[in-house]
Amino acid sequence: MSLQYLKDADASKDTEKLIRYVRLHLGDGDEAAGRKEVDKAWVEALKLLLDTPPTDREFILQTLAERDAATLAHLFFHLHFYFVKRSGAWIHDGQL
Amino acid sequence: MTDNSDVTTQLRPRLWATINERYPGVMITKSDHVPLAKLQKPLSESRLTFVSTAGVQPRGTLPFDTVHPVGDYTFRRVPSDSKPSELEIHQIKYPTSGATRDLNVIFPLERLQELAGEGVIGKLAPNFFSFIGYNMDAERLERTLAERLAEQVVAEGADMALLSPA
Repeated sequence: MSLQYLKDADASKDTEKLIRYVRLHLGDGDEAAGRKEVDKAWVEALKLLLDTPPTDREFILQTLAERDAATLAHLFFHLHFYFVKRSGAWIHDGQL
Repeated sequence: MTDNSDVTTQLRPRLWATINERYPGVMITKSDHVPLAKLQKPLSESRLTFVSTAGVQPRGTLPFDTVHPVGDYTFRRVPSDSKPSELEIHQIKYPTSGATRDLNVIFPLERLQELAGEGVIGKLAPNFFSFIGYNMDAERLERTLAERLAEQVVAEGADMALLSPA
C-alpha cells in the first residue's frame, strides 16, 4: 500500500483500510498473523505487570506530558516490536 | 547494461496484478523513464560501487528504523574494504538468517573485493551504500534518498553501480 492510499483512507475515515495496513505491517504481509502479533504484544506487557513490580511512573508520566504525539506514536511501534520480541515468539527472527 | 527496448520484457506478467490484489494501492505509475547508462569503459578499468536495500550497516551506526510504519529514508555508507564482522543487518522484512551466517549471500562484500583483487573489476569505490527497502512513500524515496544516494555515487567517482534489492 502506498502512503497516499493510507492518507486517502484516513481522510475518508476508512479505518478498515488502516487496520488492514497495520496488521500487514506487523504480520509481515499476513493479516491474520498481524492480528496475533498485536495480541501477543499486549499479553507480554500484561504478564510483566501481574506481580505488580515497581515501575518508573514518573518517567512514564513525564514522557507522556512532555513528548509530542508523533514521538509517542513512534515509540508505540517500537514498544510493540519490543514486547513481541521479548515474548520469544518472534516472527521477525530472520527465518520468515 | 541494457538498451531501453529490453526493459519491456516482463518475466512474470501476472506479478504486478497479484501484488495489487494483495496490497491494493501499492502500485506506482511512472510516466517518465530513465534508461540505464551504458558503461563507458571495460569492467576491468571501471570503478564499481554497490547499492543494496539489505539494511547492512557498520556496527555502531544508528540502526535503520525498521518499525516505523512509513519507512526509513536514510542510507548508510559501508566502506568497501570492510570485513563482514564489522557490519550488521537491521532489517525485518526479509529472512536474514542466511545472511547472518554469511553476509555475502545478500551483500557480496568479499566476492566484490576478490573480483577487484583479481582485476576483473578495475577497483572498488571507497564506499558501498545500503538502506532498507521498506518505504511507503515512493515520491519521497525518489526525491530524497535516491537523489542523495545518486549524488554520493557520483562523488565517489564510480563508473558503475551494482544495484541489488534484498
